[in-house]
Amino acid sequence: MTAPVTIFTARRIVTMDPARPGATHVAVRDGRILAVGGPAEMADFPSAELNDSFAGSVLMPGFVEGHSHLLEGAVWRDPYLGFFDRRDPDGRIWPGLKDMEAVIARLRQATQAKPSGSITAWGFDPLLFGGRRMVQADLDRVSTDRPVVVTHASGHTMNLNGVAMAMAGYDRANDLDGLVRGEDGRPTGEIQGPDLMGRVRRVVIADMTSRTMDAGALRLFADLALRAGVTTATDLVSDMSPAIVAAYRDAAADPAFPLRMVPALAARAFPQEEGLARFRELQATSTDKLHFRLVKLVVDGSIQGFTARLRWPGYHNGAANGLWYIAPSELGAIVEAWHRAGAILNIHTNGDEATEAAVEMLERAITAYPRPDHRHTLQHCQMPDPALFRRIKALGLCCNLFANHIYYWGEEHVAQTMGLSRAQRMDACGTALRLGIPLSIHSDAPVTPLDPLFTAWCATNRLTAKGRVLGEGERIPAADALRAITLGAAYTMKLDHLVGSIEIGKFADFAVLAEDPLDVDPARLKDIRVEATVVGGRVFPVPPPR
Amino acid sequence: MNVPLTVLGGFLGAGKTTALNGLLRQAKRRIAVLVNDFGALNVDAALIATQGGGMVTLANGCVCCTLGDDLGGGIARLMALDPRPEQIVIEASGVSDPWRIAQLARLEQGVGLDAVLVLADAARFPALLADRWLADTLERQVARADLLLLTHADLAGEAGLAATRAALLRLRPGVPVAVMPADGLPELLLAAHPEPPARRIADSPSGHGFAHARWTPAGPLDGERLRAALASLPDSVLRVKGFCRLGPDGVPHLVQRAGQRTVIEVWTGAPVPDGLVFIGRPDMPDAAALSSRLARAEGAG
Repeated sequence: MTAPVTIFTARRIVTMDPARPGATHVAVRDGRILAVGGPAEMADFPSAELNDSFAGSVLMPGFVEGHSHLLEGAVWRDPYLGFFDRRDPDGRIWPGLKDMEAVIARLRQATQAKPSGSITAWGFDPLLFGGRRMVQADLDRVSTDRPVVVTHASGHTMNLNGVAMAMAGYDRANDLDGLVRGEDGRPTGEIQGPDLMGRVRRVVIADMTSRTMDAGALRLFADLALRAGVTTATDLVSDMSPAIVAAYRDAAADPAFPLRMVPALAARAFPQEEGLARFRELQATSTDKLHFRLVKLVVDGSIQGFTARLRWPGYHNGAANGLWYIAPSELGAIVEAWHRAGAILNIHTNGDEATEAAVEMLERAITAYPRPDHRHTLQHCQMPDPALFRRIKALGLCCNLFANHIYYWGEEHVAQTMGLSRAQRMDACGTALRLGIPLSIHSDAPVTPLDPLFTAWCATNRLTAKGRVLGEGERIPAADALRAITLGAAYTMKLDHLVGSIEIGKFADFAVLAEDPLDVDPARLKDIRVEATVVGGRVFPVPPPR
Repeated sequence: MNVPLTVLGGFLGAGKTTALNGLLRQAKRRIAVLVNDFGALNVDAALIATQGGGMVTLANGCVCCTLGDDLGGGIARLMALDPRPEQIVIEASGVSDPWRIAQLARLEQGVGLDAVLVLADAARFPALLADRWLADTLERQVARADLLLLTHADLAGEAGLAATRAALLRLRPGVPVAVMPADGLPELLLAAHPEPPARRIADSPSGHGFAHARWTPAGPLDGERLRAALASLPDSVLRVKGFCRLGPDGVPHLVQRAGQRTVIEVWTGAPVPDGLVFIGRPDMPDAAALSSRLARAEGAG
């Protein structure tokens, strides 16, 4: 006897299958899509159970986030200090903090809620504070006897109070790159760069477990994913420690866990041979909800942190060129080893020089060891010119562009990093599509919120936080943006045979929407409410905010 | 006393691993080394005493540990060893700025920055400096080095050595450039350390191609004039290290000079006889010439 069939009906089903773009019925059996169409196609399954709870709603393929960090769940254990409203895993909206007083007030609240130990907070974003930077004295108003550590939204900068500065030894460091100094030459309490921040995490806030990746953190991420309609998400850098792999496996094995996970092995966390061995070992254990196939390399830093590697004419404000995290001269051998091992490389390149180096090394590896349909993907890839995009196309590479950057840092790019003209061609979704490059767009959560409809809105509208349209010619139609957050992202992971569209044989993963994203004004894409997700045929209603 | 910490930098392929391998093989002190990849170090298995938990102990008391992402944690592990290492050497990754690592390392409890040594592959340096992708990374590595050491001299030949030396001098006029001995980084280029006299004799610089001189002051020195005298030394002097008494009260001090950077700090350890040792290239002034320069610092107030 075969398993029961369920038929979901909807006002409209946006399938992402151009041969049958719209439907009203989808039949599901064994967690997979059995049939798509209307009443005629459903007539083949007379004994099916009808589920019409979505009859007034619109079904899309469950959203696929191609560049997120599951840490987005864990960070919510600490207070959020960002400028923009943000939804937490419980569905509560944390109102954005528009000035320093509001930031201090929220930190003081957190201090009262936690009577001892260090105070940590995240998502701080002073870019729109009219030039006002946070200084040590601000945080000394929060506490003068406990360390206070505030991480910026970019993830590249922290602010410390006096206690934290002293614990880190930064108050007496008379020459230390990365310590921001005031006009009097004294450190202001702002520190920059992963090494200074890493020292703070180790020495000052070692008592904090808020950023520990464990079962609870994955659950929080899944709560966020559900509210955003996401049914498949990457964890785009993982050291694949036994503890985190066990947490992934436990979560994936739980039928009530509403998410498929695609973690990427951090190539540089292992010596080359050990990394390859760990990858092969993990790959063999992939399941329907846990896929080991991606490998992550980070070639340069960030543009707004001035650590990305840029080609001529360099940074708009004259800052020195950024840093290679992997030298081009060693990148070739690393890329070749993983390419030959069958991994799907996900290569972080922000600046165009880093992208060019990555493309060069991929070209050599692909030429020497042809591997059809490799799906190697450039992550962020914010700056290529059309000529570099044409090389990307010629090599069959995919691009996962950082569409959200235009909204959050667009003005910063205009003023500091790129100047207006170059900023207009950042995150060039339009160019990528015109060239036929497989395209995904992403949030890099927790850097920006996990919310694919918002990401699609960014790519479609390219509005900055101040409301400027930045690069009209790189805007893409809503239909293409919606494809980028579903089938496009699935393609980059070579999971497009399983997720990303509503087609026979694929997992029954849906996002249930209150409105039709192809009908609404594109300016409202981000406002469409997610009512539920369906993962493997199982319905997960979005709970009301707690 | 702080454990002296030396950072060994240089681009990928500059010869850091070979230099460290030689240092460990010949070490007379308990040197602890933080390396990027222990496997690459290729230490003769016969020299390994114990191995495990990411740490390898050699028969001569030296220790190797893999650096990973956590510089401070690695240093803390070494500092927790019993007995404590007498010297720490950190291998900077091939793309990093070694001075940057030194800045962070010196924040750790119980360590004092000794020197930043940067290796330059004499066979490839000029070509790398012309590489559009790599030039600025190499420039940054050299920009704040205390001593520059030329490696792969055999491959480079005289022409390669001269071209690399000229390129380094353009980047860092006045900073000492010397040739790395083929058998690895000599211990004498590391920090001074009070040792029993028997061991100090064993520390003699024979076989490395470096000049060596010793000066014993007649009495307490004037600190300012000592600094001035050290600053006037030519770039053929790679290192000055030792002990002296300063000021009218004759307070014992430790003196460490690497290239152009001098550290003079109060010495609170066991009493040590006065005396400064000079390590230099073969063209370093002789002991008499050095003594007459240093004699200017004699006579403390």
